[in-house]
Amino acid sequence: MAQPDSQEIGDATTAVHSQPDSKTRRYDRQLRLWAASGQSALESSRTLVISASATSTSILKNLVLPGIGHFTLLDADAVSPADAGNNFFLNGYSSIGKNKAEEAVPLLTELNESVDGKAEVKPIDEVLQTDEGRNWVKSFSLVIAHNLSQDTLDTLSKLLWDGLGNPPLIVVRSAGFLADFFIQFHEQCIIEPHSETFPSLRLTRPFPALAEWANSTDYDKLDPTEHAHIPFPIILVKATEKWKAEHDGQLPKVYAEKQAFKAAIRDLQKKMDEENFDEAEAQAWRISGEVPVPSEIKSLFALTPLVPASSSSSTNGSSVSEQSNAAFHTLLQTLKLFVESPEGPGCLPLTSTLPDMHTDTESYVRLQRMYKEQAGKEAALFKKILKANFPDTPVDDGMVDLFVKNTHHVNVLRGKRWGAWEEDKSAVASSLESDPRETATHLALSALSNLQSKGIDVTADALRADILTRLPPNTELPEEMTNAVGELERSPTADVPNTAAFLGGMIAQEAIKMITKQYVPVKGYCVVDLVESWTGVVGA
Amino acid sequence: MNGNSTSSDWDGRYFHVDQILDKPGPRTDPSFLAGDGVKDFLRNQCKILVIGAGGLGCEILANLALSGFKDIHVIDMDTIDISNLNRQFLFRQKDVGKPKATVAAEFIMNRVPGVQVTPYYGKIQDKDEDYYMQFNLVVCGLDSVEARRWINATLVNMVDPENPESLKPLIDGGTEGFKGQARVILPTVSSCYECSLDMLNKPTAFPICTIANTPRLPEHCIEWASVLEWPRVFGDKKLDTDDPEHIGWLFNHALKRAKEFKIEGVTWSLTQGVVKNIIPAIASTNAIIAASCCNEAFKIATSSAAYLNNYFMLIGTDGVYSYTFEHEQRKDCPVCGGESLDISIKKDWTVERLIEMLVEKQDIQIKKPSLSTPTKQIYLQAPPQLEQATRPNLEKKVSELVEDGGDITVTAASLPFNLSLRIKYI
Ligand SMILES: [Zn+2]
Repeated sequence: MAQPDSQEIGDATTAVHSQPDSKTRRYDRQLRLWAASGQSALESSRTLVISASATSTSILKNLVLPGIGHFTLLDADAVSPADAGNNFFLNGYSSIGKNKAEEAVPLLTELNESVDGKAEVKPIDEVLQTDEGRNWVKSFSLVIAHNLSQDTLDTLSKLLWDGLGNPPLIVVRSAGFLADFFIQFHEQCIIEPHSETFPSLRLTRPFPALAEWANSTDYDKLDPTEHAHIPFPIILVKATEKWKAEHDGQLPKVYAEKQAFKAAIRDLQKKMDEENFDEAEAQAWRISGEVPVPSEIKSLFALTPLVPASSSSSTNGSSVSEQSNAAFHTLLQTLKLFVESPEGPGCLPLTSTLPDMHTDTESYVRLQRMYKEQAGKEAALFKKILKANFPDTPVDDGMVDLFVKNTHHVNVLRGKRWGAWEEDKSAVASSLESDPRETATHLALSALSNLQSKGIDVTADALRADILTRLPPNTELPEEMTNAVGELERSPTADVPNTAAFLGGMIAQEAIKMITKQYVPVKGYCVVDLVESWTGVVGA
Repeated sequence: MNGNSTSSDWDGRYFHVDQILDKPGPRTDPSFLAGDGVKDFLRNQCKILVIGAGGLGCEILANLALSGFKDIHVIDMDTIDISNLNRQFLFRQKDVGKPKATVAAEFIMNRVPGVQVTPYYGKIQDKDEDYYMQFNLVVCGLDSVEARRWINATLVNMVDPENPESLKPLIDGGTEGFKGQARVILPTVSSCYECSLDMLNKPTAFPICTIANTPRLPEHCIEWASVLEWPRVFGDKKLDTDDPEHIGWLFNHALKRAKEFKIEGVTWSLTQGVVKNIIPAIASTNAIIAASCCNEAFKIATSSAAYLNNYFMLIGTDGVYSYTFEHEQRKDCPVCGGESLDISIKKDWTVERLIEMLVEKQDIQIKKPSLSTPTKQIYLQAPPQLEQATRPNLEKKVSELVEDGGDITVTAASLPFNLSLRIKYI
């Protein structure tokens, strides 16, 4: 008899036949989230972190542990007694006087030997002054900056905004219990958002094999066991056909109709405990939710690809992220053609994943095969359309498969330049009305950064005066502003350990989302208040 | 400056934290003793207990140490596994197999001079009320519901209204993938862990008949191998989910069954995930939740700012979404509520059926409950003689043993509390 090990199962995903290697075991708990594709994206990423503060090293810790490819930590300053007291990635007292980045990097790389880390002992302002330095900054896949002075931040954010292929920039600001952060990016194409909703099962427009199964099912000819095991999609396809025949081809729309539709399913039950019919009734909502193309996907069809700014100084051709975004747009256009194609189903491609349901093994496996076969056919049509219409655009086959699998949930985010939102004072003012605590905290942090850059004493009055310049004349500051301003006056330069650790986790989550293009990063300014323990978003 | 660089505070060491401690903010309670008073309490008097030295625990220990807590105790019963290293950042490859509590404590004391971390490698249940009474605060970073219920009930039971010192704030954190939550529990005063039991995700349980007769998913085949096939082949030999040979055996048998039923998708990783009930875990989410817990511990210990009232929930999968709200105490909470829980059952329900319900009901979830009324024992799980003596009652109708509106007291060996049920018949 053959050993189970040598059995073939016919699916590449079952190829893991023995205990995984030590790398897979080490990363097991995260591979269950972002899989090998996410891991390999992390491993080929290169992150630059500017300033070796407690917040910065906390962020890096959470990127080194999951295994990013490379990081550079840039800081020209020496470790102060204060740094030695609040930064876990320094050697306490004995680090005082030595360079911050050089002290921190070995303690960070020690966390994961597969990560390459480098300390860069240079002032960022000096780096940004030369072409060589600017190109070096642009060569990373992600740049993160904590509490930079306002002028430096302006220069850096403009440099990185100028060119579609430049790395995204995460700007982090914090003082005491308050903080905010912002991701500057042109475009983020998300191929695997890990949505928790199931894609359409194609119940209202059944593909031939599914329709055939439904048609050939005669409830009266089945024995009680068979009757209790008809899979719910078959019941719903039949019920939908019947309803449409009796209602001029329309689906149940209003509440009373939906209730009547459910009642019709209930009436089919031969015994009270037929769970498959209960399930069909519970899943009946799918019928009215099935549209050929969800509106979020339709709006992606209308997106025009970004055109490089006229002043783009990108000299070394298009970057990896630019190429992958271009490929994504090609796939979106192909998807539009697929939906319009007379050869196609007139809707998004079928996904082969089925939810579990009350039925017997044979029926489930049969249904699963049916969905898989049809999904395969539609994927082949998708590829045919891609090849016919975009013969010169090379798209990686794995990316095409992933895209086709996720067409119900793919997403494109368009970002803003750092600071662009604040240029529209009336938008800021209306945000201050609708989201007073978030907007107040954000404005107070901007004011703090401005005062510190100019060497002005941080007092509540100075902060308020600065904030007023950021709003239309005669704007009244809400009570929430007193809270934000008071906290910043109390602790204007405090990088406290808990806030640093909190931000370390938040920024690393966002960095991972940006790098893997899985899950959805935050748009706008994410504001954090650790007095009342809330987060919020403004300026999205 | 002090010449001894590893054991004493140096000037400026607490520059960052002291900005918070030297003066109040707009939302700080007037009772805050800014300056030396609060610093002395935090650094010389406050004693804090950390339960769990895993994903959250490692982060919690580091944050507390940097924040200025100097007398920290940590309990953990686990040893270090290679799959911990992607997030439990106080452990290295060379530490695999060693107790988490001990390694974590040593690491913190080396990195943050002057902090005393006292480890205990064992179970929280090994310790009694006297032990827990010595702490000012308890921070909990556990992945076990059972252990959390135990410490929650223990701390609630310890509260003596005559003695304010007996009220130990419990700060609890938990994560799953990109999601997590942190909460502050003031035993008897605010909603406790037991009060919110129904907020837990229902664990996926596969019906035995599906596993035995109509498998559809690869998970069903794996459950078949572990729940039915393993005991059939090995009898009483215990399945060790950490033993690769055992997992290998399950994997091979699950695969064979999957092939027989033409089911796809049985992998080693899925087998391990199902039998160990693995929850995805990453460093960044643990960092956020641990920081939130420590921030609350710091604010409670110092009164430097208002603390969380009382629940913070974070979802990082789609943008950054968080929700801060006050979870309400349940009057019929078996731990902190005092009132009995009303249960309506059919008149023909047997005791066995009632027990089944107690095990499954989201807000009760008591494994192996023993039942009694003020006057008689209905069913006791232990000792064996009493179990045997009360076993015939399992078949009896509850209505034959308890009158309408009567009370049943439910106890379980694993939980230090009694649940009082008021039975109504429908
Ligand atoms: Zn309670």
